[in-house]
Amino acid sequence: MSAAKVKMREKKLRNQPSNVQYSSTHSVDNSDARQGGWVRGHHRDAGGYAKEMPKFITGGTFARARAAEVNAMLKAVNKTPGSSYVFAALPKHMRRRAMSHNTKRLPRRLRDVANRMREKTYQAATKKKKEQAKNKSRKARRRHGNLLLEFNRRQRKNIWLETHIWHAKRFHMVKKWGYCLGDRPTNKCYRPCYRAMSNHCLLQDLSYYCCIELHGEEDKLLAALSQLTSKDTGPTFASAVCLSGCRQGSLTVYKAGQYPSHPLGLVTFLWRPRTQGSALRQLWIWAHPTLKQDLLAELQAVCLCSEAVAMVTPVEAHPTTEPEPEKSSEAKLVPGKKRKRNHKDSSEPSAKKILGDGTRSTTSPVTWKSSLTGIIINDLTMELVRFRLIGPQSHSVLTDTLEAATRCEVLCKEQQPTHTSSLWWPELCKDESRMKLHQQQADLFHTLKSIFSSSELTAGTVLSLTVDDPRLNLPTKKVQALPCVQQAEEVCEEKRRELTLRGVPEHCCQSFLWDQSVRNSVTDNKIPEQTLNRMRREVLVPGSRLSPTPLQGRVPILLVHQPGKQLGTERTGWGAGWDLLLPKGWGMAFWVPLVYRGVRVGGLNMSLKHNQNKATPHFPHDYPDCPAGVRFQDEQEAELLNKLKRRPPAKRPNYIKLGCLAPLRCPWQQLAEEWELISRDLREEKTHDGPVEQQVSPLGGATVKPQHFTVLRSRSSLRLLSCWCRPSSSKGQRLRGVGESSPLSHSAASALVEAHRMSVVWVRLSLLSKGKPELHAMLCAPTAEDLRLLAKEQRANGPQEPPHKDHFKSRIGRSKKSQKTASPANDTSQSSDLVIGLWPDPLPSVSSHCSRVMLGWVTQGDFSLSAGCGEALGFITVSGLIHTLIKQPVEHRGTLLLRNPASLHYRFIKVNIEV
Amino acid sequence: MVRVKSRYLLCEINVTERKYLLQLDDRAVAAAVREAVGRIHGDYGEALCNIRFSVKYLNAHTGIVFLRFSKRFYKLLWSALPFLTCVKTRGQTIPCFLKCLHVGGTIQTCQKFLIKYNTQQLHRMLPNCKNEEEKEHVRKAIMNCSQAWGRKKDDDDEVRSEEDEEE
Repeated sequence: MSAAKVKMREKKLRNQPSNVQYSSTHSVDNSDARQGGWVRGHHRDAGGYAKEMPKFITGGTFARARAAEVNAMLKAVNKTPGSSYVFAALPKHMRRRAMSHNTKRLPRRLRDVANRMREKTYQAATKKKKEQAKNKSRKARRRHGNLLLEFNRRQRKNIWLETHIWHAKRFHMVKKWGYCLGDRPTNKCYRPCYRAMSNHCLLQDLSYYCCIELHGEEDKLLAALSQLTSKDTGPTFASAVCLSGCRQGSLTVYKAGQYPSHPLGLVTFLWRPRTQGSALRQLWIWAHPTLKQDLLAELQAVCLCSEAVAMVTPVEAHPTTEPEPEKSSEAKLVPGKKRKRNHKDSSEPSAKKILGDGTRSTTSPVTWKSSLTGIIINDLTMELVRFRLIGPQSHSVLTDTLEAATRCEVLCKEQQPTHTSSLWWPELCKDESRMKLHQQQADLFHTLKSIFSSSELTAGTVLSLTVDDPRLNLPTKKVQALPCVQQAEEVCEEKRRELTLRGVPEHCCQSFLWDQSVRNSVTDNKIPEQTLNRMRREVLVPGSRLSPTPLQGRVPILLVHQPGKQLGTERTGWGAGWDLLLPKGWGMAFWVPLVYRGVRVGGLNMSLKHNQNKATPHFPHDYPDCPAGVRFQDEQEAELLNKLKRRPPAKRPNYIKLGCLAPLRCPWQQLAEEWELISRDLREEKTHDGPVEQQVSPLGGATVKPQHFTVLRSRSSLRLLSCWCRPSSSKGQRLRGVGESSPLSHSAASALVEAHRMSVVWVRLSLLSKGKPELHAMLCAPTAEDLRLLAKEQRANGPQEPPHKDHFKSRIGRSKKSQKTASPANDTSQSSDLVIGLWPDPLPSVSSHCSRVMLGWVTQGDFSLSAGCGEALGFITVSGLIHTLIKQPVEHRGTLLLRNPASLHYRFIKVNIEV
Repeated sequence: MVRVKSRYLLCEINVTERKYLLQLDDRAVAAAVREAVGRIHGDYGEALCNIRFSVKYLNAHTGIVFLRFSKRFYKLLWSALPFLTCVKTRGQTIPCFLKCLHVGGTIQTCQKFLIKYNTQQLHRMLPNCKNEEEKEHVRKAIMNCSQAWGRKKDDDDEVRSEEDEEE
């Protein structure tokens, strides 16, 4: 018997009585023998045995011996053997299942044993369980304070917007750019969203856009910022309408002083209107989060702002309005107000605490100051909420939702003259000139109601306003906001014309939203939803409007007009709308009332479609030469590769056989370099006309330092190009005689090619016949034969690409085999690069890989619901385009071929370059 | 239940002189039983004694023995027990005979019977005590075991009623 078995047996027989006898070897009368003679002493406590039996029976010893034996037997009977479970001690008919976890169901004699055993098992179990955090009950988790803590924890990595919870219930959320953003709604509403954009109104939360505030003297600011831009690309920061503060501008920013190369990306900007007696100006630059860090670094370099300021509020531009948020005004407070203060004092976890934002850490500074130029850069990310309303009826949604702030004169008079309110609006009401301004703004806002479509206004119009809390006049049911044109009277007609033609006068663009102190005060004094509901409950007639409006219920907002489709001839003004800028914390207060006016809500996906239909480049997607665009391409490649690898190899398209070199990522740089060589060859052929020189040219090409490719943004060159590819307009559109600058000729063309050797140009493409362009579809130049085919039949289907051979497939098979037989170490590196159906990394010549010469790729493509045919946005090399155009006959100029990556079929497309 | 079944015989060894009692041991008792069975039932009986026969418990003070036999043929072996007349141990022959008190299916029933039997014995003894000292001892012993017993079952009443009957 093994030691363990002996041990087990010992344990089992622990309570069983053993023999009581004297060992045979020892003498009986030895006192020590008693201890030695006992095998297992159970009588020790009883101790009632004599050493030697007397000859006669004495009652005492007899009784003691019996008693000791009884005790031993009792012990044996009562105690269960060690190995058996407590419940086994019970007869079967008395056992119950529930006994195992409620020991009170056991007979009392077994209870403490069972309890002990239970504890033992729990201890063993808790050792495992302790590693995972103890979960609170659902009720505890859903308690308000705990829920907020949980929310704060969950948005530590990716910041939530204010409308996050609303979105999370209805959208597929993606984690992008340090934020949690709604990508697309969970219900099917692609077409309804498009209809909303073209007929009514689509709402988007763009609060993730980053705002950078520049503060300084006008000439110094302009001097600094002029290094970042060029007049070639369009109006700069200094354009007169924008500088006055009446318009929002947008432009492409470059690295300081490096205009044609090193672009950073697209920004929109807004100047604060001039204030009397102050030379300081304020400028907001709105940028995409992927662009922000690059832009901020560049701005700091340009403005010589390197000193981080810990926590400095910018200088007040308005010396007259100084709200004092510190002073308490108990007299005027509604009950809910007081509660909030108390909460703050007791330092509870504040409700919507925004810890930093998605693009920077919590601890990094937000303000930089320059001692040389006096410019202050302020990072206002997440300080402002930006909602975008797209669609022709967005103005009627706005006028329906918002109401110009009512005055609170009565309350002002009640106040003691010495007592100053902490709220900014009552203070403001005392100032008559400001009230007059407010009245003008409100009038303008009313005239907005009579406008027929949002696109009637001049692009980028800014309207400043102070509005009442929109939650106060929330409709009980969702209603569709409709325009009320018939209300427009004769007087209004005049005003309306003035508004559409002249825009908003400069002084009306002045807003309190620019003031940080006012913003903070408005954010801090927001009435919580709970209090508002209590006030609603106390209203005498249920459902009636709350009156008077509580003092805190005034919010300064900025309405910024977003231009629709400005370029091109078709659908001008499509997709125009308004941007709504709010102080932080008020997001949901405005969001829900807007949604109640029957708008659709779109996600990131819809903003991409909006840009596509509007024919404007979308920021990280259509800027492949910007650092942000390059990063986006990396991400997209990884994502597409993942998607491809998820399919079984037999179900993947074999891109090698399809003759598609880059289905995942467009090698723009390689394409530009190849076309540079091609154009040089062609040029030298032309000038020298000798085959001897041709051989020299590659050598010459090798000596030239490889440049980085750029996107052509110079307006004059673009205008020229757009003229050249115009002659036959797409879809039979009427040809419009734009001032014919210079006809396409060899000299002009070569001059343009010379100027933009390494450039690609952004083009809009529409298919002539059927077909739906896809991402990374190839754009090729048609041969003369193809064009003849097109001339014969207008809706020709286009040529076919002969299938290619896949030389890599066999190599993959071989490497797999060799891996099995030979040592795996040397082959893994080679075979891991090979994915079936994808070209391994050093690509062959991109431009001449297929039967048609490659010019570029598509970056976005879809069936356009507005045009009724496939439409795509993409890039084409300038030299390639010009060489193709020169060869083409006049009536087919600007016709190219498009081939989807997973297809062999070429389709005819029309190129549009719109300036 | 499916198991190997046995019979446990609870026997009392009665010796002529009480001093012999302390010299008993289990191996000697087992040998004596085997010898007696062999004598009565021959080789066949002796062979049966090799199958699952053992002395489970022996108390040299009280002379109580637990014998285990296989259930299939315990009656055969049991029938030889009256012919056991002496136990040979340490070179001595102790004249004795076995008195079977109880036959049980498990050792536990035997133990339970023994408890009952012993307490009964003690109770029976109590009124017959000659002097006060002896009485005190017996009473103490009864108290000792009845306390333990009382914790488990209330058998005291039953015992007392038996006692009453005796008187």
